This record gives sequence, structure tokens and C-alpha cells, in this order.
Amino acid sequence: MPTEAEESIDAFQQYYARPHLVIPKKKKFKEIIYDKEDGTIFGRTGSSWSKILGFYSIFYGVLAALVAVCMWVFFQTLDPRIPKWTLDESLIGTNPGLGFRPLPTEDNVESTLIWYKGTEYENYKHWTNSLNEFLAVYKTPGLTPGRGQNIYNCDYNQPPPRGQVCDVDIKTWEPCTQENNYSYHKSAPCIFLKLNKIYGWIPEFFNDSSDLPETMPKHLKTYIEQIQIKERHKMNTVWVSCEGENPADQENIGPINYLPFRGFPGYFYPYQNSEGYLSPLVAVHFQRPKRGIIINVECKAWARNIHHDRKERIGSVHFELLID
Amino acid sequence: MALKSDYEHGRTDSYRVATVIPTDDDNLMADGQRKSRRRMPPKPAKKENLDDLKQELDIDFHKITPEELYQRFQTHPENGLSHAKAKENLERDGPNALTPPKQTPEWVKFCKNLFGGFALLLWIGALLCFIAYSIQASTSEEPSDDNLYLGIVLAVVVIVTGIFSYYQESKSSKIMESFKNMVPQFATVIREGEKLTLRAEDLVLGDVVEVKFGDRIPADIRVIEARNFKVDNSSLTGESEPQSRGPDFTHENPLETKNLAFFSTNAVEGTAKGVVISCGDHTVMGRIAGLASGLDTGETPIAKEIHHFIHLITGVAVFLGVTFFAIAFILGYHWLDAVIFLIGIIVANVPEGLLATVTVCLTLTAKRMASKNCLVKNLEAVETLGSTSTICSDKTGTLTQNRMTVAHMWFDNQIIEADTTEDQSGVQYDRTSPGFKALSRIASLCNRAEFKGGQEGVPILKKEVSGDASEAALLKCMELALGDVLSMRKKNKKIAEVPFNSTNKYQVSIHETEDSNDPRYLLVMKGAPERILERCGSIFINGKEKVLDEEMKEAFNNAYLELGGLGERVLGFCDFMLPSDQYPSGFSFNTDDINFPIDGLRFVGLMSMIDPPRAAVPDAVAKCRSAGIKVIMVTGDHPITAKAIAKSVGIISEGNETIEDIAQRLNIPVSEVNPREAKAAVVHGAELRDVSSDQLDEILRYHTEIVFARTSPQQKLIIVEGCQRMGAIVAVTGDGVNDSPALKKADIGVAMGIAGSDVSKQAADMILLDDNFASIVTGVEEGRLIFDNLKKSIAYTLTSNIPEISPFLAFILCDIPLPLGTVTILCIDLGTDMVPAISLAYEAPESDIMKRQPRDPYRDNLVNRRLISMAYGQIGMIQAAAGFFVYFVIMAENGFLPLHLFGIRKMWDSKAVNDLTDSYGQEWTYRDRKTLEFTCHTAFFVSIVVVQWADIIICKTRRNSILHQGMRNWALNFGIVFETALAAFLSYCPGMDRGLRMYPLKFVWWLPALPFALSIFIYDETRRFYLRRNPGGWLEQETYY
Repeated sequence: MPTEAEESIDAFQQYYARPHLVIPKKKKFKEIIYDKEDGTIFGRTGSSWSKILGFYSIFYGVLAALVAVCMWVFFQTLDPRIPKWTLDESLIGTNPGLGFRPLPTEDNVESTLIWYKGTEYENYKHWTNSLNEFLAVYKTPGLTPGRGQNIYNCDYNQPPPRGQVCDVDIKTWEPCTQENNYSYHKSAPCIFLKLNKIYGWIPEFFNDSSDLPETMPKHLKTYIEQIQIKERHKMNTVWVSCEGENPADQENIGPINYLPFRGFPGYFYPYQNSEGYLSPLVAVHFQRPKRGIIINVECKAWARNIHHDRKERIGSVHFELLID
Repeated sequence: MALKSDYEHGRTDSYRVATVIPTDDDNLMADGQRKSRRRMPPKPAKKENLDDLKQELDIDFHKITPEELYQRFQTHPENGLSHAKAKENLERDGPNALTPPKQTPEWVKFCKNLFGGFALLLWIGALLCFIAYSIQASTSEEPSDDNLYLGIVLAVVVIVTGIFSYYQESKSSKIMESFKNMVPQFATVIREGEKLTLRAEDLVLGDVVEVKFGDRIPADIRVIEARNFKVDNSSLTGESEPQSRGPDFTHENPLETKNLAFFSTNAVEGTAKGVVISCGDHTVMGRIAGLASGLDTGETPIAKEIHHFIHLITGVAVFLGVTFFAIAFILGYHWLDAVIFLIGIIVANVPEGLLATVTVCLTLTAKRMASKNCLVKNLEAVETLGSTSTICSDKTGTLTQNRMTVAHMWFDNQIIEADTTEDQSGVQYDRTSPGFKALSRIASLCNRAEFKGGQEGVPILKKEVSGDASEAALLKCMELALGDVLSMRKKNKKIAEVPFNSTNKYQVSIHETEDSNDPRYLLVMKGAPERILERCGSIFINGKEKVLDEEMKEAFNNAYLELGGLGERVLGFCDFMLPSDQYPSGFSFNTDDINFPIDGLRFVGLMSMIDPPRAAVPDAVAKCRSAGIKVIMVTGDHPITAKAIAKSVGIISEGNETIEDIAQRLNIPVSEVNPREAKAAVVHGAELRDVSSDQLDEILRYHTEIVFARTSPQQKLIIVEGCQRMGAIVAVTGDGVNDSPALKKADIGVAMGIAGSDVSKQAADMILLDDNFASIVTGVEEGRLIFDNLKKSIAYTLTSNIPEISPFLAFILCDIPLPLGTVTILCIDLGTDMVPAISLAYEAPESDIMKRQPRDPYRDNLVNRRLISMAYGQIGMIQAAAGFFVYFVIMAENGFLPLHLFGIRKMWDSKAVNDLTDSYGQEWTYRDRKTLEFTCHTAFFVSIVVVQWADIIICKTRRNSILHQGMRNWALNFGIVFETALAAFLSYCPGMDRGLRMYPLKFVWWLPALPFALSIFIYDETRRFYLRRNPGGWLEQETYY
């Protein structure tokens, strides 16, 4: 063992044995890229480059493998049909929103404006085409895998057994059909509404006309009262209402017809990601909207466990109509 | 000694260069130009001053007759100036004080902090935010406020960090204020025949002032009357001995002539009267101070490193930002989106909290150093000592005790070593021999020095003594050896005395003896040994008086040469009992016309004195050595003394020879010795004057142990510049005004807190409160430690940049919902990362950092390629993988399987889409999607915190295993707990979802990052294991930062 003093002397001599500080030369830009003298490209020689690249490819290879292993282990915990977390456990929550079709073009994804000229096919073709596309699965059950064998003829008193799905009758949407151009050419467009699917969500229906919220529009209240009288069994429905957002819009919006009727039948719920499941739809037929002016429309779904917030667009949907 | 006188001459010349007073300055009848000259002209002054230094001095105040002097200043030796004239002069020339160095205005300092460093980049980010917001606000009905908030947050961040560093800076500069507020100096002035006590600032040219011992000379004065007047010029010239001053013109050089005394030097003995010949900045002292403040100091090494680092990071940020701005355009994003990406990339890239971290780390170290007696004036100087590779140390007061002490005695024909240590822990000698008794009697009696009153409790060596340094040394030595010198003097009453003068070179006094039965008088004499010997006929050896034969003379000569060769000042002592028949009791001794024998005396012995090295210095020098630091002695003192001290403290190590030593050993002329053979060198200021800078470089390069003796302020400057030219980072220690230009020029100037002059303190970056060279070693140690720890801290902080940037890149390139938002990035940079990063400043060193070489300022950068490669390329990537894994886990558990996410971004971020379908057919409203996204941000953030646990642990060491280093850094352990607690708070505190868009996480979402944290730990332990196993190997070259 060298003593401390010896060690320090060694260190001292080492220092003076090493070549004295060489002030590094300033490299020109060209030399940074390729330096003939040192044979370096971007400061490294070929072998140095291959070593460092080799090192990093191994490093990232191992890292990728680690990620892959973690992913594989994680996927073992997932069920292909049931989300890991549902309803309140999941961030999707228990307050579904509404969706509408047709949507504006892909590159105009931020917009909710349905704007066309009823007299020109070219002009409204996008809207009808996109509806055709959207409704194709409803028309042809074969397009949805598993729908063919799982289809079940549901009714209010005949909910589908587990794994089976209810049929959606497209004929009841008349005049909002493909053959009729969804009435777009008549400047009386049909907009399709659907309630967002949430796995396992069960609506709490407003099935007593005497117990309806104050915020519910009057026309819907009267409608529900009539249903209660005429078709009692249909009361287990998630009701739908569409209105102009502002007083002006309410004037401009004109009469609205809901097809096949004003709501989503309760037997479609809960959604359990069964094979072939398709959402129930409500076609909203704006029969005589005022032309040449933007109409803000807000549609709401009504159930006891659906809360509305216009700004957050929960429990409702917003779009604008502009028909030239 | 021929050599000595030779050097004497050299010194004379070398001082001249430092003391230039412009020719127009001597003219009293100066016009209005004068006033403007009071302030240093701003820019060109630097150059001018350096040139000034080289000019020959041309004042004649010391040459002209007193009458001419009075006439020139319209003053009178008895009555002084008239009040009116004094007032006029004061108005013309301004106060007699040094102009303080120009201060940078506070608002400029503030702005520097506000716009320097990364601040500019962040300001750009903030500006882009505001622009993006205003465009959104003007085009969209319901603009999102995100950009506005982000802009405000960024601006606040910049302003707060700016204020913080400004505060830190001003706090450290306040330390200096305490030095500035000195006790006001007063001076006794004669005006209109009246004696007045005025503040020194109110003195004017031509004032007649009176100075007495203990005073500080209030201005440059020409002495017109003096009684035994001596001044201590050490702060000006470095000479440690007091110089006598009188009215006679003795030398052409104003600094050498005896009739000038200079501003801010001290009167140590006697009284004098003089006429003020220059004031304030025009004094010799003022000019040197002016030169020092005019010098360009350059950046500190750490500032260079930080700038280098800022350039690097800014470069990366701008490059990535612009690249992705362009890519975003090519991919067809709206330009506003592209701008928002740009903001995100800038925010992610800039380590916002890092500069504040660095400041805090430096402050912590500065505090620690202050507690170890190193006061740091400039925060950045904390590190400079650590990178120092050369220390140019002054001798007097730094390496030595600044106190003449008896080192050796020669009596009974043998040399006895006296104890020179500060605490009297050295060897003891026999105090009972008759030889010592006789010697001590002479040394006690033939001595005019006395202890000043009121120092009862003070240890003898620390007591203040009136009288000259050698006599004080003898007095203290005798007090230690005999006990009470005063009572001994009382018992041996002094009858007559002939004081020392430069022609006789001896001092003699006659005393009654203690023995009341003995009527004889005792004559005692001390002085220059050869002169004393001449006067002796016998010698006292082993209690017997012997004839002084050739053999004894030879023995005397050998002893004298040996002691002289040690650089010690030697005094000879002799005594004589006057025969009572010729000199009976009551004999009247005449000291003017000597009526008693001063020949044929009895020689007793020699005593030699030196300013001994401080006890801790040799050890400190050895430590510097083993730390690879070259210690150069630069002193104004004699080469022989300098060399002796250098040898005794180890600056010239044992066995190393100078050219002169080799020549002597081989008995050949100096010119025949190959200079390369000599490792050590003692260079005289006079030689240095004729040396070109190339030759100086050669001296500095080929001699490892160098002593520069008899150097002038300008030469000190040249030596420092020479060292810097060789790439060394130079520390200079000094206490005198003559050191201040070198202190300023040095990378780090170290002034002495006790003995140091104000000017030197002002020029220095660091002050040793205990004046002890050994404190420098502490400074070096702390400096090196903080450099290492800053590296670690930066490595830690930079690592999280990759998991911060990569989400943005994935967002743009893969069209996935954003995994990590700008707000969460700021939470990491300014929140969770801060405390752990700062805590690394407390990390203990990994090995003995004092056995390492100083860092190579060109290659060992604070932030180098290897650090970036480690932080960004390796650990950062693992962290990013962890973040993305957590992101995909949360997305998948909520319904969006990873493959589903690619390309979904446009729909995801569109408010218009209220029913986005996930992998399980569920449809998500905009709000729910965003909640999910922000939960992912929170989880990504939390996972970064989790992997940063591992990162902080691996950053604790660069080479050693953590098992070896341990987890004893409690600040760091607290940091880990703190960041975790903060992350939990941000995630779970109610209201955070609204404020920061941070959402509570399920407990299990903390876990997916753990395997990655573990792999970081394992990877780095393995890497460091190989690093230790293969020192200098490829892995070290590529990854050891």
C-alpha cells in the first residue's frame, strides 16, 4: 500500500507527465461535417460511429423488448369485449351525450354546420352520401359482423336476451330515406340522432307524465302525456327533443317531425358490446326551416340520469342548419 | 552580500512602473480639465492605464526644495493653507477619496436577469401564446383560454426566476457593502495656524498635516519634519518591513525616496508633518486601484459553462421547434396549430427551473464556504476555485504569519532552533545554559520594544508591540523564554543608549546590573553580525570567555551564512562589563561623543528572525499539489527569504533544485546549466522585466515550482496573464493594493479579510476571513464538489426533457391525443424536479476529489456530449417509454386500445364531435374525452415522477455504486418524498381539475412506471459497474459525463 504522501506525489507527477493543455482548434463549419485530418464525420470516425450506433441499436432494442413485454402482460388483463372500467369507474361516466349525422367533411372537423343548397344535387351530395354510408349498416345487416345471427325482434315487453341485439327498422323513417334523398332536395333535411353508447349504462326513464322536469320543453311534455294515454308500454323510452337555441332560432326552425317516434326505445339498453349491436336512431325531420339563415339547433335526450349542459354538450348535441 | 544589493537595485526599478502620475498632475494651476479627470474615463481608460503603467514616473515634489514646495501650493509649514484656499482647492479637485468602481445600474442588472439565459426563449414562447390567443379570440366565438393562461404562466415563470436570481445576486453583493462602510478616517490639519481635525476626505492639495504612529496616511504627502518616523508600505509595495521617512530627498524614485509617504499606508512609529501633494485618485494608491477597476475580468469558468449549456439547449429547442413547425405545415396542419406545437416544444425543451436550481446550489455552497471562512463575493466564483489549476500566492500574510519571529539562535557554537509555531507546539530548547542566559540578557535589555497596554489576556505572540518588527520578535521570544522582561529591565536600569542607525548598524545601551553588590555597569550591544564581531575581542562559549581566534571566526561565519541562507535576518549580540574603576557608579555616559569602550567586547551569539510560515500552510500546499494545482509564489520580498519560505512550505519541494542550486552543486557557472534540468526556479523581478512573453511562457511551462520575488504590481499582472495564456485557470491571493490588478485579472482573486486592504478586497472575488492559505484548499474542495454536483443536477433535470418533448412529437407525427400538456410540463420543471435537483448540491463527493487533476477547461465541460447522450439518449428514453406505457394503459383501460389511437387526433380534439367511438363501441363526448386526456396527462406526469425517483438515485453517483455511496443525503431523501407528495397533491387536491387540469388517478395507475424505474436503476448500476471495471474503456469514453 502506498502511503498517502506517495500517492499524492504520484498524482502530481501524473499531471505533469500528461501533455500540457492543448487549446483545441476552432473548426470551420465544413470541417465539422467532414474533417480530413482526423477522418471524422460530424466529430466521429467511421468505427466510432458504428460502435455508437451498435450500442444504441442494442439499447433501444432491449428497451423496445421491455415495452413489448409490459404491453403483453398488460393485455393479459384486458377483456376483448368488456372494458376494464365501466360507468362511474371509467372516465366515460354515466352521462351520455347525443350524436348527429350527417357530419361535415373530414377537413372541416371542427364545424357542426349543415349547409347546403337544396336545388343542387352536387351541393347536398356530401350530406346524403355520408348518410348513406352511415345507414348502410342498418340497411344491410351483413355489414356488421355477428348481427345476422344475434338479431332479435325486440319490443318494450320483450327485451333481448344477453348477447342478442335488437333490430332497427329503417322503414319507419319514411320520408327520411335514401330513396327520398332524406328530403334534402326539398330543403327539409333529416338529421339522425343517436344516444352515445356507454357500456352497461341503464337509463332511468321519465315514465310518468306527472313527474317530468320543469326544463323539459312543453311540446315533449304533451307528447309524453299522449303516449302515456295511448301507448302506455312505450313509456320506457329515452325521450328526445330538438329546439332552436335562441328565441330567433325557435322562430326560424319551423315544424319538426321525429321518426319513428320521439325517443330511443328502452329495450336497447344496457349496451353490452354484444356482437352486431347497432344504436337506435331518431330521424329529425325539419319540415320547413327558414332558408338563408343560420339556425342553431339543440337536441336533448331525456332520462332521469341524463344531465344537460349546453357548454359541455353532455346529454345534448348542437348543430347549425343553413339552407340556401 | 553582493547578491542582495544587486537585487535591491532591481526592485527599485520594478516599482517605478507602478507609480505613474501624469505630468500635468503636478501642476497646481490646473484648469477646469481637472474636474473631468476625477472620474476614470469610461472605455479607453483600460488601455491608457496599462500604457501609463509602463511610463517613467515624472513628479518632482520630492526633489524641489521645501520653499519651492510651499510656494507652489501657496501654503506655509507653520500656518498651513488659508480656509479660503482650502475651500477653493476642495471645490476644484473634489474630495480626497478613491472613486468607487463604476457600478452597473440596478435596472440593468435586473434586465439582464430578466432577459438572459433561457428567459429570451421563454419570452418568445409567451409572446407566441399571446399571439395565438389573440388570433383565436378574434376568429372564434368561444376561444379557449388555454393559450392565454399558458402565456401568462410563462411570463410569470420568467419574471419570478428573473427576480429570484436578481435577489440572489444583490444579496451576495450586499456582503461587500459591509466592507465599504469603513470607519471614517480623520486627519490633523493645520490651516491658518490652527490645528484642526478633519475627515480625510476634506483634505486638499497643499494642506499641512500631522501624522503620528498608528495613523493611516491620509494622502500622498511630502514629509517636511519627522521624528523617528516609520511607515509600513506593505500594502503598496509588499515590503514587510517598516521604512523610515524623513525630510531628506534620497532617491530619484518617488517610492524609494525617504521624503514621501503615501496615501493609505500606515505610520508605525514616530511622528511627522507633511504637505499634501496629491489626493484621491491621483495618489499612487488611487492609480493602482484605478488600474484594477479598469481591467477586464472576463467570464468566470462556470459562467462560460452555463452559457455553453444554454447555447446547446437553445440550439436543440430552436432546431426541434423549427423542424416540427415545418413538419406540421407539411402534414397540413393549420398554421395556428403549428405555432401551438412550437410553443409546446419550446416549453418542453427549456429546463425552466434549471437556472434557478444552479443559483440555489451555488448559494448553498457559498454559505457553506462562508462558514469555513471563505467569503464569496460573486456567486459564480464559488466554482472557480474548483477548476483552478494554478494558484499565484502572495507570501506575506498569506503563507506566513506576517509577524517576525525568532527562528534560530547561535550560541555556545551551536545553532538552536526556536519555536516559530503560532501555538508554541514546536521544539523546546535548553534555557539554563550560561550562553543562553547571556544572550537573553542582551536581547531583553538592548531592546526598545514594549508591549502595548491593556493586553493582559492575550497570548504573548498575539500581543501588539510598539517598536520595529525585529525588536518585537526579540521581545516576544524573550518574554516566552524568561517570563517577565519588563521587571528584568526594571532591575537592570538603563543608564544610556545609542539607538540603531544605518551608518553604525548597531545599537548599544548601558545598564546597572541586578547584582547590587556589583558596582559595574553592563554594556550590551546588538546589530549587524559582521559589525558586532569586528568590535569583539573575545567570545563567550560554554560559560567561559575565550579569545576570538580564527577558528571561532570561522565557526561564526558558517553559522551566519547558514542562517542567512535560510532567508533569515541575523543579528549579532555582544556585551561587556565596564570595569568599575574606570566607570564608577554615577559615571556620566555621553552618547553623542562616546566616552565608553565599544571595542574589545565579548561576543555572545547570534539570533535570526523570519516571518515564519503558518502552521497549516505546508499541508495545504501538499493538498493543492496532490490535487494537481501548481502553486506559484509571487512576492515583493527578497528572493532568498522567498525561497526559504517556499522550501519550508513545500512550494519548492525537497530535492528539487533551481538553476542556481545546480550550478553551485556542480560548481559551474549558471549560464552552463540547462534550464530544463531544474524543476524549480526563483525568478527575480528584475529579470522578469527583460523577459519576453514567450520566455515567460517557457519559465511557466518547464519549471513546476516557481517563486517570483521582488515583483511589481505590473509584473504580477504579467505572470497571471502568462498562466492564463497557457490555458490555466488562475487564482491569485494577495492583500496589498499592489496585488489588486492581479487579483482583478485572475480568474479568481482571493483577498485577505484581516490584513487585506480595501482596494484588494474590492478587486477580489473571494475573501479569506482568517487570512489563511489553508482555507483556499477548502475552497478548492467545495468548488470541485459543486461542479460535480451541478453536473449531476443538470443530468437529472435534463433527463426529464425527453419524456416532456416526446409526447409532442408523437402528437404531431402519430396523430394521437396529446399524452402530456404544457401545464404538466411546467409542473415537472418548476415543481417536482426542483427540490431533488437542488438536493444534489448536498451530495457527498464520490471519492477524494482533492486527489484528482483540475478539470481541463476545454474538454471537461459542465454539460458535454456524454451527459446529453446519457440524459437524452438513454435514461430519458426509458422515462419516455414509461410515460407512454402509462398513457396507453389508461387509454386502453378506459376503452381506447393503442392501435385505435393512431390517427384519431383530429376527431379527438374537435369540439364538434360529440360521439367518438372507442375500441369497445362506447361513444365519448368531447368533455369525457378531455377528462380522459387530462387524466392521461396527470398519469404521464406521475410516471415521470416515478421514474425520476430512479433517476435521482442514479444521478447521485457518476462512477460509484449507490451501495457504496449510500442514501445518507437527507436533503435528497426529502426531495424524493417531496416530489411524490407534490405529485399526489396536484393529482388529488380538489379543484386541481379546474385549475391545472390535473385529475385524480386510480392507485394502480402509479404502478405501470415502476418496471421502467427499476430498469433505469439496473441499467445504470450495470453501466457504472462496467465503468469501474474498465477504466478508460469505450463505455467510459461514451457515457461517463
